[in-house]
Amino acid sequence: MNCDELRDHYDLYALDIAEEPERGEIRTHINRGCEVCMAGVKRSLETVALIGASAPEAEPSSQLRRRILASVGSAERRAGWIPWWAAALAIAALCVVAAYLGFNGREYERTVARLRSERREQTAQITSLTEAFAILSGPNTTEASFGGMQPMPPQGKVFLNPARGVLLIASNLPRTPANKIYEMWIIPKGAKPVPAGLFQAQENGSAMHVQAGTVDVRSTAAVAVTVENEAGADQPTTQPLIVAAVPPAPR
Amino acid sequence: MARNQNARVSARSDDGGGMLPLILAIYADPEEPALIVRLQHRDPKALAELYDSYGRAAFALVLRVVRDRAIAEDLVQETFLRVWNRAHLIDSEKGALGPWLLAIARNRAIDYLRSSAGRERNAIELNETDHAPLYREMEAEILISDQARRVRAAMDRLAPNYRTVMELAYFEGLSQSEMSVKMGQPLGTIKTWVRTALQSLRNDLGVAVPS
Repeated sequence: MNCDELRDHYDLYALDIAEEPERGEIRTHINRGCEVCMAGVKRSLETVALIGASAPEAEPSSQLRRRILASVGSAERRAGWIPWWAAALAIAALCVVAAYLGFNGREYERTVARLRSERREQTAQITSLTEAFAILSGPNTTEASFGGMQPMPPQGKVFLNPARGVLLIASNLPRTPANKIYEMWIIPKGAKPVPAGLFQAQENGSAMHVQAGTVDVRSTAAVAVTVENEAGADQPTTQPLIVAAVPPAPR
Repeated sequence: MARNQNARVSARSDDGGGMLPLILAIYADPEEPALIVRLQHRDPKALAELYDSYGRAAFALVLRVVRDRAIAEDLVQETFLRVWNRAHLIDSEKGALGPWLLAIARNRAIDYLRSSAGRERNAIELNETDHAPLYREMEAEILISDQARRVRAAMDRLAPNYRTVMELAYFEGLSQSEMSVKMGQPLGTIKTWVRTALQSLRNDLGVAVPS
């Protein structure tokens, strides 16, 4: 379908009530960076957002802010992460050492940038690990393996917890092409796959991906992974690299 | 920044409109690009600032959808963690953090409703309107101050059936077919009402919403 045919459906798409095939068509246009549809949907999102202005004012509890910050900050402390001021001191100390050893200005900047980058990555990893640990340690977690019989994997396991979400641990994943990304799918029994988050593999082909939230394990047939465009897809557009059949959930 | 602070002060005074949290959330903060960069750098203090700016608005919106304070708080927590984990997707120079965050909040709440009602979509669905690139250079200015009041007035001026379909779609996440059943009207009528309501809203707002 061309953009003119989709124009009347931008508002419905923004309201999340567009029907097929227009919904999928608009999604495809957006995924391929169609400027006309991007602009149209954006304008519709602005209009639709106005409807939300009629929500009555409400005040959350004072604990909510603490909870949200604890879900990031506490995880860092539990995992032994050093506070920001300690990291800053460490970076400063390294800078002094670097200067003492005769680093020139550019090398020094590179070192600081690298340390900061490592710190960011470690923080992100700790957040993911905390979510993963919650799934692994859950009493109702169901486990499924994939790739065990193949000579050239990917191999790994998925863990599904009804209250915590889905954890995927994989190895031997091939490098994705430019502008592509891995997308995980929850495949319900007798229904279409449901998108469950985007991720990239490490340089060594390993990956850990967590889709936090509730999941109906009993009605889940499998967990799969495909390669998709960076924005993700509504439905898989490539053959799955990973398919992990989910065994019956424990009762 | 001064404009933003003034807006926040007026929010605390509560003019009775009930819409200010959302408006303020969508208000373009000139310091937002720096906040986005800090979120992308996983700065926990940036998350605290994000919550201080948008927490009330997200909660008000989610509570309107799920009508349960405890569940609303859980969903708001999920929303902020989702933004925390996906901040790299938004353009720090052109992104509109507020609209994006509120779209995620609304989607989480609607997904919860659909999931708890056993409706077709799963709670962990990634809604396409979450996509950060759609929130580049969004015209946030349309939602501030006097124009926001015009928006509310325009909503009030909608015929009751038009306003109802807008609320059922936006706050309850009902499809047009589901609205047809709930309102006891033919699907074609519902489709007409939805289109007319949105068009009326847009026409009524005139310049405020570019067509």
